[in-house]
Amino acid sequence: MIVYLLQRLLSVAVVVYGAVTLIFLILFWLPGDPAELVAGPDADPATVATIRDRLGADKPLVEQYLGYVVRLAHADLGVSFTTGEPVFDRLAEQAPATFELTLAAGSLALASGIGLGVVSAVNAGRWGDYAIRSSLLLFASMPPFWLGVLLILLFSVTLRWLPAVGNGAAAQLVMPAFCLGLIAACPLARLVRANVLETLHEPFVVALRGKGLGERAVLYRHVLRNALAPAVTVFGVLTGEMLSGAVVVETVFARQGLGRLLAEAVGGKDIPMALGATLLAAVVFCIGNLLTDVVHRIIDPRIES
Amino acid sequence: MTTRRRFNELLASAFVAAPFGGSLAAQSPRSGGELTVAFDGASIVKFVLDPHNSLFAPHNRVFRSIYDSLVVLRADQTVGPWLARSWEISPDRRHYVFDLRDDVLFHDGSRFDAAALKFNLDRVIDPNVATYARGELGPVVATEALAPHRLGVTLAEPFAPLLRNLSSTKLGIVSPAAITKYGEGIGQNPVGTGPFRFTGLAAGVEIRLERNPDYRWPPSTSTLSGPARLDRLTFKNVPEHSTRVAALQSGQVQVADLVPSQHLATIRSSPDLRLVQQELLNTNYALFVNPTRAPWDDPDLRRALRLAIDVDAIVRTVYLGSLARAWSPLSPSMFASAEQDLAGSWKPDPKQAADIFESKGWRRGADGVREKAGKKLALGFVDAQGNREQRLDVVQLVRRQLAKIGVSLTIESQSGPLLVQRQLAGDYDISGGAQFADDPDVLRRVFAPEARNRLSVVQVEDDQLADLLRKAAREDEPEARKALYLRAQRRIVDEVYAIPIYVLLYNLALSSSAQGIVIDAHGFLHFHEAWLSG
Repeated sequence: MIVYLLQRLLSVAVVVYGAVTLIFLILFWLPGDPAELVAGPDADPATVATIRDRLGADKPLVEQYLGYVVRLAHADLGVSFTTGEPVFDRLAEQAPATFELTLAAGSLALASGIGLGVVSAVNAGRWGDYAIRSSLLLFASMPPFWLGVLLILLFSVTLRWLPAVGNGAAAQLVMPAFCLGLIAACPLARLVRANVLETLHEPFVVALRGKGLGERAVLYRHVLRNALAPAVTVFGVLTGEMLSGAVVVETVFARQGLGRLLAEAVGGKDIPMALGATLLAAVVFCIGNLLTDVVHRIIDPRIES
Repeated sequence: MTTRRRFNELLASAFVAAPFGGSLAAQSPRSGGELTVAFDGASIVKFVLDPHNSLFAPHNRVFRSIYDSLVVLRADQTVGPWLARSWEISPDRRHYVFDLRDDVLFHDGSRFDAAALKFNLDRVIDPNVATYARGELGPVVATEALAPHRLGVTLAEPFAPLLRNLSSTKLGIVSPAAITKYGEGIGQNPVGTGPFRFTGLAAGVEIRLERNPDYRWPPSTSTLSGPARLDRLTFKNVPEHSTRVAALQSGQVQVADLVPSQHLATIRSSPDLRLVQQELLNTNYALFVNPTRAPWDDPDLRRALRLAIDVDAIVRTVYLGSLARAWSPLSPSMFASAEQDLAGSWKPDPKQAADIFESKGWRRGADGVREKAGKKLALGFVDAQGNREQRLDVVQLVRRQLAKIGVSLTIESQSGPLLVQRQLAGDYDISGGAQFADDPDVLRRVFAPEARNRLSVVQVEDDQLADLLRKAAREDEPEARKALYLRAQRRIVDEVYAIPIYVLLYNLALSSSAQGIVIDAHGFLHFHEAWLSG
């Protein structure tokens, strides 16, 4: 297991490095001169040139890239082109809100996805199954920003239970987490349902039942464990979807977050800031996937061999 | 004209009835409480609360609570005293002397005096600091503290816009001690002399202020001489329109700004909410055809293009009757706006437009798009702002109208810096924009090469126009100055350097408890007199 973990961590490092390189190249070749934006409307060409020089944005690609990698190796994310602030500070200020949101949404997605999937499978063909499946379909086809607005109208405007905007308090997390969690819950529930149904028809289930094991024990101790493995893998991928979906949800609920930071940085060709945010997202995504793989091995001992 | 009457009514509602009282006007103002404002700050994560270095109109809506100015712009567009008690202007109008109030303190306890004002103005004109507000001071070359509360300002040449520009949020007065202490970080640690002082922020989402208990120096337009009534004032950045309105309806905030047209009916019909709106002083949002690029260097073709655009229909469709269509480059309430003169100055006529294109040899090709010598009549609209103020909806309708007469228009979305670069290089066919401003001199920054501002680059090279604008900037006599601007605006419209589209009304939806909020003559918010009714 330890060797496996070390191998995986190494691959995480390779993937993150690759992601950073890719983004660096994309941003570098993106047309536009960041010095123009930094300089402001009334600056003369000499000021723009000075700023360009200070940013180092006109140096050759290889020099800029190597400089960035060397600084990164020293845990230095650099300073923002547009504001001159350390990238690390901006990330530290915006990232907690995104992680809080993704974590809450992820937990909600796991609980509801698995729960609804099992209930749906057990009641396959009956009204409960149809109700769950059709409502999942409805939610899955709803764009998150629209769902967000509907939630606000119901819970903030009509019922006045929850605050519409902001972040920090637990009450402010409920609607955004629900909104984002649904993105992952819908595919998860459908996958769990299909897997449970499939596993219920496996010969070993017939054997277990024949052995006289209770239906509950069959379902929760044996069927679910087998059905969960693929679902866990999918959840790792869905983490990425949630990170990108956070951009929209953060805007609708006026929350802080990495998504808005990244969008602003790419728009202004703020290369260090965009790289920092991407780096962080890549690390989180890789660690999320690493964790799901570890959980996968725990659930399914067959993988070990 | 209907447009004019409409604005007069709006102005009357804003100023005669100001501060907005509504049905509760009979209740006397109370002190205390916290007011929360949801404003449209777009998805900008970084708050730069440094008035000299902000390009972003939404942040200027916060400035009035933190920073005061030297003078105040009155509703009739004249200038009155504020931190300056009075001023004298030399006969050659190259020397100004300001007598300052001697009882004004910054939030950090330091004193506002001639040295502090000198520090501020010197910072703005310092080429090494390169502040965004540089253009506001025009030909100011030197400042001198003549006495502890007396400052002299020297100009290289007469500059009529100076006083009006000094009333702008962009020249708000910042504590020199704080600038020295925080450097560029002043934008996140604002210290002014205003009715509220800064207590903290959550980057991108919230700015928190509290009452400045020492405040005794409101502008001469204010009805309240002492400190603000509210204990606390919070600005929340809520970029999503529907959420902003919902946050107001839910009671989480008491004020929401820039309510989009489709929500206005809801606000008006709700007994708990009120709507107030006022024109924002600016250059009306306009489309700019690049006159340096063939074939649009031919004024007849630019005129033909305009004839194909039915501005009335577009503005009605997109803004549902909530905004008036614009005729002049300057918004109607601004000094010397030609809105009245230019109203009805041209009519859409697609048939005539088609005839002009035909007569110039542009014939429809197989795909319906006109072409001449193998070149298609295609326009690229460059944009970096997205659908702010539903501007892209406008451009989409323009696209459809132009398609009918065989001109194709494509929208090219760009990042901000690239847009500036392309505009500077003249590498675009058509663009659009508006600039908030205090004085008609803004036209010089947009249309004259000598003062061209990098963010309002319009490739117009017209000596006659530049000359009119240069003269107007130096002319001190209001009627003569106005006459020059009327001529300049007529030339801009006649030559189709700009096709003005709509007159922006800045609006606020208020809960019935929010009282005494004032929208000043610029269209920015004052909360000094604001209070919450029970």
